[in-house]
Amino acid sequence: MMGDIFFDLSVRSVRLNFLRSILASIGIVIGVVAISTMGMLGTNMQLQVKDQLSSSANTIVITADAIRMGPPGFSSSSSSTESGITKAQLSKIRSVVGTNGTVIPIYSSNTEFTSGNVPARGMIYGMDPSDVTEFLKVGNGTNIASINEALAGYTLAESLGIKVGDKIKISSASSGPPSNSSSASRATVKIVGIIDARGTVADSVSSDNGIVVSKEWYTAQYGGKDHYTQVNVIVDDTDKITAIEEAIDAKINTDEKTPAVRISDASSQLDTISSTLETLTMFILAIGGISLLVAAVSIFNVMMMSVNERVQEIGILLSIGTESREVRKMFVYEALILGILGAGIGGAMSLVIGYSVVSAMMGTTKFFFLPDSLIYIPEGMLIGMVVCVISGLYPAWHASNMDPIDALRSE
Amino acid sequence: MTDTPLISLVDVTKTYHLESGDFTALDHVSLDIMDNDFIAIMGPSGSGKSTMMNQLGILDVPTTGTLSIDGRNVATLSKLERTHLRRDAIGYIFQKFYLIPLLSAYENVEYPLILKYKKRDTTGRAAAMLDAVGIGEDMGAHRPNQLSGGQQQRVAIARALVNDPKILLCDEPTGNLDRKTGFQIMDILCSLHMEGKTVILVTHDPKIAEYAHRTIRLEDGRIAESS
Repeated sequence: MMGDIFFDLSVRSVRLNFLRSILASIGIVIGVVAISTMGMLGTNMQLQVKDQLSSSANTIVITADAIRMGPPGFSSSSSSTESGITKAQLSKIRSVVGTNGTVIPIYSSNTEFTSGNVPARGMIYGMDPSDVTEFLKVGNGTNIASINEALAGYTLAESLGIKVGDKIKISSASSGPPSNSSSASRATVKIVGIIDARGTVADSVSSDNGIVVSKEWYTAQYGGKDHYTQVNVIVDDTDKITAIEEAIDAKINTDEKTPAVRISDASSQLDTISSTLETLTMFILAIGGISLLVAAVSIFNVMMMSVNERVQEIGILLSIGTESREVRKMFVYEALILGILGAGIGGAMSLVIGYSVVSAMMGTTKFFFLPDSLIYIPEGMLIGMVVCVISGLYPAWHASNMDPIDALRSE
Repeated sequence: MTDTPLISLVDVTKTYHLESGDFTALDHVSLDIMDNDFIAIMGPSGSGKSTMMNQLGILDVPTTGTLSIDGRNVATLSKLERTHLRRDAIGYIFQKFYLIPLLSAYENVEYPLILKYKKRDTTGRAAAMLDAVGIGEDMGAHRPNQLSGGQQQRVAIARALVNDPKILLCDEPTGNLDRKTGFQIMDILCSLHMEGKTVILVTHDPKIAEYAHRTIRLEDGRIAESS
């Protein structure tokens, strides 16, 4: 292209109308920045979710098909035997897993906490203290050692200002009638540790906004002993997840029509979340695309102006033996130059603006420089250039099909 | 020189379809132009001179009749073939010079060579052509709007000659020049004729027409006189 007389003519034409060319390219700059930034933001969100879910990628979550919500205040003498994962089912799970992983039975329910006089809602999990450290990290303080001790999630501790050593009251009737919320139905636990933040996880333990207590304390308060809300299996080798899931399914879900338990893992949740985020990314990309559409109209307008201002020159070129395709090439080059100009500036600005937007919206730029994220900059630039060239096609065709006699006559 | 005409018009008619009705600009014109002829075409405004030049320059094709250039019937040629014939066989010199404003004088002369050989001139031919019409290297770097009328026309002549065409079509080549410069340009055209070029000249000026060996007078699209 360089050294081509038609490219030189296009460069000189752009230089001659530099201000107009720059103004037309600003549309492309905005379009490229919009597409790149939106694309990078969406991808960074996906990558963050994937990263968080991958920390629990080795976990199988087994829940009773008719999930026992286990509201606080649920009587142990009520219909608890009909819901949750039973001791017999847990034994079967343990026998299937064997030495291939760790089986963690968990009780859980939604409840209300009070720290000082500040109330908050969140999840409460009951489990064997020795299982806690299998998948949770106590960053500040120690693990539960006695029945009245508990661990607080990072977000809950932050929002309520809970510190190690504080005591919090836990309601035992979150959804019951007001009379159940009397002080008599509140038990007190001592926070001995704060669990590190985990973000979005696939093991159905949202510890960030919850409290972890011992299983003895939990069943003493809420009943439902040996009827677990869920059983998590942390598998040693992720390649064996499918085989273990199938074996558990075969052993427990003997009745195909009414399976006793539901078995899931990170991959199915990851698929759902990724699909949602991809749709969201496509949507915001489409919004960015609208700005490119506006830019296309602007480029088309400038190219038509360029052709109309150079009618006599086109007539000269055609009358001294220039082929139509060569005239066409000259104007397509001109559109391409506007595209390169706009895409170049847009690409550089996308890096800066994209970084700022991702940092402001997500609070982290951990994934920003990964190829999956940065690829949106060259992609945006390429789309910007293609849009420019497409916008220049009709003006170029119009120029190349002029009658040289009429074109020469024009002043 | 052979007996076969370089350019042959047989019963050529050119009709324009206008909103006000059909207008016949050339009316059954027959004419043979031999190799190395020097012809002046004269006539009042609207007599068909420009239409004749457009036909001879293959910028247009006859409505009826046959126009052959260098043995090729232009009506049977594709648009691309006509473009190539125009590029290779015809040098066009215009009254308003019509240099490409974005190119320097040198690049204007080099341009037809690039069209023909699809590459920049490395043979020095463009510079030699400029030198032959009295434009030096320094002047060659100037854009057309930095040159005088006479200098621009010299550059236009160099551009017309650079692909060594057989035919030179000159449409009022001295019309925009002062008398002295006009005669200088005519001297260049005469010397090109002496070198073997076929020169076809449209002019209003009888003094300029005297340079030609043959004069054709057009009236109302017909040849009224040929001498």
